[in-house]
Amino acid sequence: MRILVTSLLILVGITNSYAQDKVYETFAATRVINNHSNEMLPQQTLEFIVAHKFGDIAGASGGLENFFGFDNLADVRIAFEYGILDQLDIGLGRSKGIGLRTQIIDGYAKYGILTQKTSGMPISLTFVSSLALSYAPATTEPTLLTSYPKFLNRMMYTNQLLITRQFHPRFSAQLNVGYNHRNFVEFGDKNGLFFAGASGRVRFTKMLGLLVEYNHVFGRPSIIPSQQPLSFGFEILTGGHAFALHFSNGKGLNENLFIPGTTSNWLDGQFRFGFSINRRFKL
Amino acid sequence: MLKKLLPVVTFLILTISVLAINSNSSERFEPYSPEIQLEDRWLGVPVSYALDILGDPRPNHYLMNIDPDSARMGEELVRFGQLKDGSNKRISKYFLCTDCHNQVLETDDPADESPERVLEYSMKNNIPFLPASTFYGMYNKEHWYNGDYDKKYGELVRDTRDTLFNAIQLCATQCSQGREMEDWEIRCVIHYYKSIELKVSDLNFNDKEYGLYVAYISAMNKKAKDLIKSKYNQINDAHFGTSKIPVIEGYEPNYKNGEFIYVAGCLHCHAPERGITNFDLDTTQLTLKFLHNKKDKYNSYSISHITRYGTYAIGGRRQYMPQYSFENMSDEQMLDLMHYIKVKANE
Repeated sequence: MRILVTSLLILVGITNSYAQDKVYETFAATRVINNHSNEMLPQQTLEFIVAHKFGDIAGASGGLENFFGFDNLADVRIAFEYGILDQLDIGLGRSKGIGLRTQIIDGYAKYGILTQKTSGMPISLTFVSSLALSYAPATTEPTLLTSYPKFLNRMMYTNQLLITRQFHPRFSAQLNVGYNHRNFVEFGDKNGLFFAGASGRVRFTKMLGLLVEYNHVFGRPSIIPSQQPLSFGFEILTGGHAFALHFSNGKGLNENLFIPGTTSNWLDGQFRFGFSINRRFKL
Repeated sequence: MLKKLLPVVTFLILTISVLAINSNSSERFEPYSPEIQLEDRWLGVPVSYALDILGDPRPNHYLMNIDPDSARMGEELVRFGQLKDGSNKRISKYFLCTDCHNQVLETDDPADESPERVLEYSMKNNIPFLPASTFYGMYNKEHWYNGDYDKKYGELVRDTRDTLFNAIQLCATQCSQGREMEDWEIRCVIHYYKSIELKVSDLNFNDKEYGLYVAYISAMNKKAKDLIKSKYNQINDAHFGTSKIPVIEGYEPNYKNGEFIYVAGCLHCHAPERGITNFDLDTTQLTLKFLHNKKDKYNSYSISHITRYGTYAIGGRRQYMPQYSFENMSDEQMLDLMHYIKVKANE
């Protein structure tokens, strides 16, 4: 414990010792596509996020019959996030949810441990801890995931570390490692899942860019149907707004949902269009 | 007896004459220099004091003396938007006064506040090149929000043009999109303004003018008043332009000027670390290429458009950009700025 505290103090010390030449705009928003990026909200800034994912574009549930997924809704999330300090954000969101886990409230805290500098510090290091819970009524069938015998059974947690670097104003990359824990899972599934991912951003112009995001979940029991979430996005900045248009096989919009809960397969046409709109307000 | 005294008397007369001539020459013919200014009691005085003793009508913001505490609080309101002890609410959550106004002299001749003179002085002294007037000497102005400001603020400028108190209030509520300032806050700001008012030593007298000034004011001659007023601007005029890219026959744009305007002007607010605007700028090729490619557009991404028109505060998006009038940026400087962007974009 003492070593951990000492390490954190050293890291914070390093963060403060290079305050002059911070690298900005590694990513355009606080999310790459679905997952968090290293970007923080400035102190006393409120961000309003609306994110939406439609149904499958192709495959059995897609095609013209459902107008390529636009007739269906995979998930929708509305959130307010706030910069307490330049290096500390908190957020509160509400999602429709995916699969059996519906009516989700989520919250998170994000801390920027290290910040990339033009000299001296080559990376940004960010820690994100999030929690989500379903407030849907419990079912009376005790074998179901949604029976929720105890209130704590509704909880899911994800902690992850983001390692980010802007290699060039046109190219940024991020690696993330984390642990997801669900208090209550289906028979045969594991409560705790380790995952790692990689994300990237390529900017064509100052206002347009291409995004990619992939996460790999390790050690998932083979009897549980699951896929690794892979997303491609297109960002449009307008000054004050950040729009991200994306295609993803993950249905969820929160890491507690799309990390353990992705079951769609790109190769079966089970990918969908989604978008997010971020708007910042100074308080 | 008289013959014996004659050489002595002659020697004494010559000595006194030489001393008298030397004494006169030190007063009349000593060249004008800053060192002498500081020693001269008539040069170190504030302009408002000199005008007051010469019988000039006192402006309605006139203060006999600076209250140091009020001036300190006024400076805190200007620099931080609120008192440092946190005892009052921030005037605006969007802007500080210092985002648009300097607090130092912007020219070596207060009678010439042309953008060329200001740019030259700013480059020499590394002073931000901003769209609004400096607070240094604001106390000595007689009219505010002149010229085309009525096009932007309409009737709101009417009561500000001859009253500094009202001008500060309009700046708080409209220019900074903040709350109404309380009377004591405005009074503190005026005390701060007084602490950075023009001194007679700031005025750019030549030798002859200086001699006349000393002679007039020593005799309390009212001509001193006119002389003082001829050496600084009492009015900040403002004329707004259009988005048209200037065409100046034979003008060779200056890269260094353009670079300074971009860094000390544009980036003063748009640098990401400043956190003021919704549109961050930097000196990367990615950004400068974007600006260069948009130069002919009729929108806020076009340099000539945004610089001359600025933007307006709207509901949900109060941060706006004030425009540079011709009095703050000349057409030549606009071309310098666009030239710098073009060169850097194509490097």
